Amino acid sequence: MLTSAIVAGVVFGLYYTLVGLGLNLVFGVMRIVNLAHGDFLMLGGMAAWWLFSSFGLHPLVSVALVIVVFLLVGLPIYYLVVPRLLRSRDSEMLSLILFFGLSQMIEAVTTIALGATERSLPPRLLGVGPMILLGTRLPKAWIFSAAASAICVLFVYLYLYRTRLGTLTRAVMVSRDEALATGIDVNFISAVAFGISIALAGVAGVFAPFILGSITPNMGVAINITAFAVIVVGTLGNPLGTLLGGIIYGVSLMLMQTYLSSWANLLPNLLLIAVLLVRPEGILGRKVRRA
Amino acid sequence: MRSKALAVGLLCAAAAGSANAQSAAPAEIKIGALYASSGPYASISMPVFDAFKLWVDQVNANGGAEVKPFGKKIPIKLIAYDDQSSTATAATLYNQLITQDHVDLLIADSGSVLTSVGVPIAKEHKQFLFDVSGTGAAFFTDDNPYIALMADPVSTIWPHYISDFLGDEGVKAGIRTVAILYSTNDFTGTQAAALKGFFERDGKVKIVYYQGVPTTTSNYTVLINNIAALNPDAVLELGYVGNDIAFLRNLQDSGSQFRFVFTIYAGTEKEEIEKNVGISAMTNIFSYVPASNYEYTPNFGMTLTEFREAWLKKYPTGSNVAFGANAVYGYMAGLVVERTLATTKSLDQMDIHDAVFALSGQLKTLDSTFELRKDGAQIGEVTPLGQLQPAGKEELNLVAVYPPDLAKGKAVLGQ
Repeated sequence: MLTSAIVAGVVFGLYYTLVGLGLNLVFGVMRIVNLAHGDFLMLGGMAAWWLFSSFGLHPLVSVALVIVVFLLVGLPIYYLVVPRLLRSRDSEMLSLILFFGLSQMIEAVTTIALGATERSLPPRLLGVGPMILLGTRLPKAWIFSAAASAICVLFVYLYLYRTRLGTLTRAVMVSRDEALATGIDVNFISAVAFGISIALAGVAGVFAPFILGSITPNMGVAINITAFAVIVVGTLGNPLGTLLGGIIYGVSLMLMQTYLSSWANLLPNLLLIAVLLVRPEGILGRKVRRA
Repeated sequence: MRSKALAVGLLCAAAAGSANAQSAAPAEIKIGALYASSGPYASISMPVFDAFKLWVDQVNANGGAEVKPFGKKIPIKLIAYDDQSSTATAATLYNQLITQDHVDLLIADSGSVLTSVGVPIAKEHKQFLFDVSGTGAAFFTDDNPYIALMADPVSTIWPHYISDFLGDEGVKAGIRTVAILYSTNDFTGTQAAALKGFFERDGKVKIVYYQGVPTTTSNYTVLINNIAALNPDAVLELGYVGNDIAFLRNLQDSGSQFRFVFTIYAGTEKEEIEKNVGISAMTNIFSYVPASNYEYTPNFGMTLTEFREAWLKKYPTGSNVAFGANAVYGYMAGLVVERTLATTKSLDQMDIHDAVFALSGQLKTLDSTFELRKDGAQIGEVTPLGQLQPAGKEELNLVAVYPPDLAKGKAVLGQ
């Protein structure tokens, strides 16, 4: 049971890496907390559900559409909200309030438009039946979502370390003011990062019905709490640290479900408290947060 | 002459009395209710609330509810608030309905979680609580006369047909071991504890796995793997709608096979579960047979067929509210309120209590016989054990298979 829990935890944790990746990118670049991240994830799931039920579109095709649309939606949202927020005296704190409000609005509008009931995609779309990995039976959907997560992590890595835009993004992550002083179009760089973050949430949303069973308009808050724990464990502001955070969360959750199942929902909070007490900068963090 | 004067005097007095009674009658009967339009309990709350509204509209369309103390029909005013599935918000709103809105009758939100906070508040304010479907056994105590369960048997009653079936037909077919996986809330936790007690008392089936998981659990893969490692004959998963969807999907994905698998909502919210997990994941799953799938003969209110027609007229297909057991529960609560108002001596809350309890054993609706225990727990509306059996290529029928006197078909156990 121990091996099974660890193997399942690693694969499951890769999905949560994808969930937290965009949230961490936004924090790293803008030092704001997007509490509506989970709601964008939910919208990604709803989009996949709508595309399948209306046009019969396979979720793997929906992923491409969701990336484009969510990226484009993220840009105007950034210009509408974030620059004003960053001009305020305490943008980190105010971002919590503002994005919480946005989260509530998204949930309410989705509930009015689609109702509050569960929605899902047929399991057969990603293959029914188990896949055996190191002697552990895992749903095929887990393997697909873990692969999608790995691709997204690789994309973010290549973007940050192998492109000019990525280099500029890392400059903004180190110091927004210095980047501005050197003539970098900080707002454009941040807007692209925000768009990528929303697109990553959307991709995670497409896989959510297969990983979480179903999606509902109210799922955003719970997703946010978990995603926040994942990125704090992996190091706030370090997008690639999210990989470690996700895997630690996944393995811990499966071990809790195996040995202390009644207490499993305490896990995100326990991880948060433990990391903040023992290593506040996160497992991969330095004394001062850097890119 | 004197007798004439006396007669005139008596007539005047009677007329004055009648006028007083008329003037004392309220312009409307205020019914307070909570519902959850969002959050984890929305899917069980909204059908209840929509069905209750359907009943209110029907009654008001006929001029109002007959209220015995005033000898006339009085329109119903529904004061309803959205608790958004939050127990903290629900507690505030229960208080508001009682102390600010001064409702005549108080209807709880659906399910045990959102009812749980209303029980002590209603008791403290001596306000009778029409508990629609909060079945937690702890709600019903001899020292609290201010509650009665309307439309669902108390949680300890629900699962006894499961243990009876497994101990009887299951044992004959070679079922010896059972795994119980439940969500840790009043509704399913109570059922799990009751089942454990039944199995231990009877000693025919051995429990090899007994674990609780948070109600927020959305992934069961490792739990199913752990259960499969113990190789039980029967698996009972007791959770809410979201839990059952995740469990059934993960069970199919895992490829694990058990001879008997039970979930609560595969039957009680069949349409909702079927939409999310598909027919193949539900085939031969056991579940409760709710009143929305069993035609009882009522002596008051609509039959199931009539109610379904009325529902579809008001909420056509595609209106985002699913017809199911919870819709029946909401309408059933309305019927109890209607009969209570028609028979109560006054709107005093203890008279309301007496009127509700006087219906026990007498009222038969589309939800079977309304019967209350002394402490307000519902014991009449039984939940037969059913199985989702194939009916053609793309359809499943929920067939009652136990107890024998209610059975409409025979159970099919896996190999």
